[in-house]
Amino acid sequence: MIIEPRLIFHYAMMSPNLKNNLVIFSLIFFILFCASNFPPVVSFYYMEEAHALLKWKTSLQNHNNGSLLSSWTLNNVTKTSPCAWVGIHCNRGGRVNSINLTSIGLKGMLHDFSFSSFPHMAYLDLWRNQLYGNIPPQIGNISRLKYLDLSYNSFSGTIPPQIGHLSYLKTLHLFENKLNGSIPYEVGRLCSLNYLALYSNYLEDLIPPSLGNLSNLATFYLYDNSLSGSIPGEIGNLRSLSDLELSNNKLSGSIPPSLGNLSNLATLYLYENSLSGSIPCEIGNLRSLSNLALNNNKLSGSIPPSLGNLSNLATLYLYNNSLSGSIPGEIGNLSSLSNLALNNNKLSGSIPPSLDNLSNLATLYLYNNSLSGSIPSEFGNLRSLSKLSLGYNKLSGSIPPSLGNLSNLATLYLYENSLSGSILGEIGNLRSLSDLELSNNKLSGSIPPSLGNLSNLATLYLHENSLFGSIPCEIGNLRSLSDLELSNNKLSGSIPPSLGNLSNLATLYLYDNSLSGSIPSEIGNLRSLSNLALYNNKLSGSIPPSLGNLSNLAALYLYENSLSGSIPSEFGNLRSLSTLTLGYNKLSGIIPHSLGNLTKLATLYIHNNLLSGSIPSEIGNLRSLFNLELNNNTLRGSIPLSFRNLTSLIRLRLDRNYLSSNISESFYIYPNLTFIDLSHNNFYGEISSDWGRCPKLGTLDFSVNNITGNIPPEIGHSSQLGVLDLSSNHIVGEIPTELGKFNFLIKLILAQNQLSGQLSPKLGSLAQLEHLDLSSNRLNNSIPKSFGNLVKLHYLNLSNNQFCRGIPIKLEELIHLSELDLSYNFLREAIPSQICILQSLENLNLSHNSLSGLIPSCFEKMRGLLRIDISYNELQGPIPNSTTFRDAPIEAL
Amino acid sequence: MSRVSIIFCLILVHFLNNCLFSGNALHALRSRFKDPTNVLQSWDPTLVNPCTWFHVTCDSNNHVIRLDLGNSNISGTLGPELGQLQHLQYLELYMNDISGKIPKELGNLKSLVSMDMYQNKLEGEIPKSFANLKSLKFLRLNNNKLTGSIPRELTTLSDLKVFDVSNNGLCGTIPVDGPFRSFPMESFENNKLNGPELQGLVPYDFGC
Repeated sequence: MIIEPRLIFHYAMMSPNLKNNLVIFSLIFFILFCASNFPPVVSFYYMEEAHALLKWKTSLQNHNNGSLLSSWTLNNVTKTSPCAWVGIHCNRGGRVNSINLTSIGLKGMLHDFSFSSFPHMAYLDLWRNQLYGNIPPQIGNISRLKYLDLSYNSFSGTIPPQIGHLSYLKTLHLFENKLNGSIPYEVGRLCSLNYLALYSNYLEDLIPPSLGNLSNLATFYLYDNSLSGSIPGEIGNLRSLSDLELSNNKLSGSIPPSLGNLSNLATLYLYENSLSGSIPCEIGNLRSLSNLALNNNKLSGSIPPSLGNLSNLATLYLYNNSLSGSIPGEIGNLSSLSNLALNNNKLSGSIPPSLDNLSNLATLYLYNNSLSGSIPSEFGNLRSLSKLSLGYNKLSGSIPPSLGNLSNLATLYLYENSLSGSILGEIGNLRSLSDLELSNNKLSGSIPPSLGNLSNLATLYLHENSLFGSIPCEIGNLRSLSDLELSNNKLSGSIPPSLGNLSNLATLYLYDNSLSGSIPSEIGNLRSLSNLALYNNKLSGSIPPSLGNLSNLAALYLYENSLSGSIPSEFGNLRSLSTLTLGYNKLSGIIPHSLGNLTKLATLYIHNNLLSGSIPSEIGNLRSLFNLELNNNTLRGSIPLSFRNLTSLIRLRLDRNYLSSNISESFYIYPNLTFIDLSHNNFYGEISSDWGRCPKLGTLDFSVNNITGNIPPEIGHSSQLGVLDLSSNHIVGEIPTELGKFNFLIKLILAQNQLSGQLSPKLGSLAQLEHLDLSSNRLNNSIPKSFGNLVKLHYLNLSNNQFCRGIPIKLEELIHLSELDLSYNFLREAIPSQICILQSLENLNLSHNSLSGLIPSCFEKMRGLLRIDISYNELQGPIPNSTTFRDAPIEAL
Repeated sequence: MSRVSIIFCLILVHFLNNCLFSGNALHALRSRFKDPTNVLQSWDPTLVNPCTWFHVTCDSNNHVIRLDLGNSNISGTLGPELGQLQHLQYLELYMNDISGKIPKELGNLKSLVSMDMYQNKLEGEIPKSFANLKSLKFLRLNNNKLTGSIPRELTTLSDLKVFDVSNNGLCGTIPVDGPFRSFPMESFENNKLNGPELQGLVPYDFGC
């Protein structure tokens, strides 16, 4: 019985005496009301429901919007009844039994919605509005509700447990909201429920096992939440279930075998969770199943052969798991299957030929497994196949010609296998093909000209094979082609000019082949081209100026060829270019000034050519330049002053040219510079202390120039320095103590200068030093004992100096030393016998000193010693008996 | 084109291929290593050759001849690609945390003079392919976890001068032929070796 709230109000105001009478009276009144259609009383209820609706309407943020719920008003037409209002339906008794306000842009909350005012409501649908706030617990008061849909709103907070009171509820749709917290176990009391959809919320915690009581449930959607724990085995009780989707949660544990009881199940989606263990073989009992997706979990073990019983299965997704073992041949029984994806697992063994029974198969993904054996020739029977990917496996043998029958094939991925034999001309029959990727195999033979028939082809990857012969000119017919990669093969002959017809081509990679002839000028027609890599071929002739038309080109790699002539000045038009590499060619002439227009250029490598003239000052405009290598050319003249603008430089090589400028004026501070090599030029002037302000500097090589002055102590601030080579200059003064700060210094070469004074013991702190050459200077006094700390040294040359005193015993600690040259000094005293501890020593030169005493007999034990020279000393005694001494020329002793 | 320039071109192509090859091999090696102190930071794979990388030394033909990564806090494993460094003379990987097996492909390093891999965590056997290292003078594998016997094939390495396999788990007998005639016993101590081989009496892998 439903008691009208307004009656209760009156009742509460009566005196106690009257109450008993009034209860009887009101019961009579109520029965009368129910039996008749007494207008004034009915309008009483109308009033109640209408007022409740109007109260809610005014609580909506956008209720003043004229068109929104405009019929919801009390006027002469509607009187006081809401039954004619938009979205409101009433029963024959004039009571509201349905509110249906979907997709009308309601914005507000439900707090002012008086749920208890609608005792007859069976249907409440507020789908797709902008409602927010909590779902009020009073919703549990609409006890006759059969249909509740609040989905596609912004409701937040938890699902009120009172929802469990709605015992007539058949449909509960709360999906696409912002609900959090756990699913109340009271939902398990909704025993009439057919449709449960709580997906796309922020629900967390366990799936309540009580949901296993919902014996009438047909659809069960909890996907896209943060539910954790394992899948309750009780779900296996839901015998009416046809659709179970728990995907995209944080579910763990194994798949309960009880799911095999769900005999009406058509869809089972458990993908994107953390489910582990093996796939229960009971899944094979789900004879009604048409969609099974368990992908993106941590499932292991083998694929149960019982899955072959699922005769209605259309989709089987088991990809991105850790499944092992072989693919059961029973999968071939799934005659309805149209999508089979087992990729990204650890499946091994061969591909079962029985898969050729899958005549409806459209997608077959087996890539990224460890499948071996050959591709079954029976695959040619899969006439519905449009996507075939077998890449990243261990497949061998040849590509079966029967694949040429797959007239619907759009993608064919066989990359990263061990396929051998040649690419058969039959592939040219696959007229629907848009992606053909056969890269990283052992394919040999030539590229079949029939590939030119594949008019829909967008991607052609044949790289990293052993293909030989020439590139067929028919490739130029592939007008849809956007990506052509034939690199890393043994292709010879010239580049067909017809490639210039490929107007959609964005990437053209022909590098690492044996292509000869010149670059066809037609390549300049490829206006869509953004990457062109022809490096490491045998291309000759000059670079066609037409390449300057490639306005979208971002990267151009032409290095390691035999290209001659000059760099076309038209390259200055390549405004999108960020990488230009022309090294290791025979390019001559000058560096075009127009390269200064390439403001996006980050890498410019034109080293190892025959370029002459001076460096154009426009290079200084390239403010984005990171890498500049002009080394090994015949460049002359001075460094343009504009070089001081190249503040982005990371790597600079100008070595082995004929450049001459004052080194202290030509460069400035490059905060990101890690590598600079100016060696083998005619640079003069003094080394600026500014080099100490390049904090990332790793290599500084100024060797073989005409540099004068001192080594600035400030250079010690470049704390990352690994290689410092200032050899063969005219540097004077002492070696600054500050060099001892280089914690990472690997190589220090200061040979052939005029350095003088004594060595600081602090140089012994260079713990990473592998190579130290201070030869041919005027260094004097003693060799510091601390050099014994340089335990990584394999090369130590102090020859041609003025060192005196004895050879420090501490040098015995240089156990990795393979070459030690102390010749041409004034070293005195005896050769310390500890020198024999240097077991790695191969070359030892102590000649031209004033060493005295006996020749240590322990030299005999230096088994690795290849050459020894102890001549021009004051040594005496017997010559040690070892092969090295026996083989040494007499003048060395 | 004159004959001289043809030969020059052939040499050029050969060495360019080789540069690329060694860069790839070293890059593959880097990917197997953990390098907490960034010793390999300068190994930029975009450079055409690896000759300006730290700890890598090339000869004037841009062939890698030295790899110096001793005592560098490196862990990880070695891979077959190291065998591609055909001109390598010095392979210095001593005192690190390198584990796993020694790849048999190291036997392809025909120019190798010195292999120092002592004080690591290497396991498995000493590859028989080391018998191909005809230039090898220094072979120090001591203080690892190597097992199996000392391959008899190593007795053919006539240039081998310094050999140390002490502190491993090697078994069998100690070879006595070729250079093994003169190695001191300290080079073999702390193994499960059964003393010098008595040829004809017991098989060399006796006790393995």
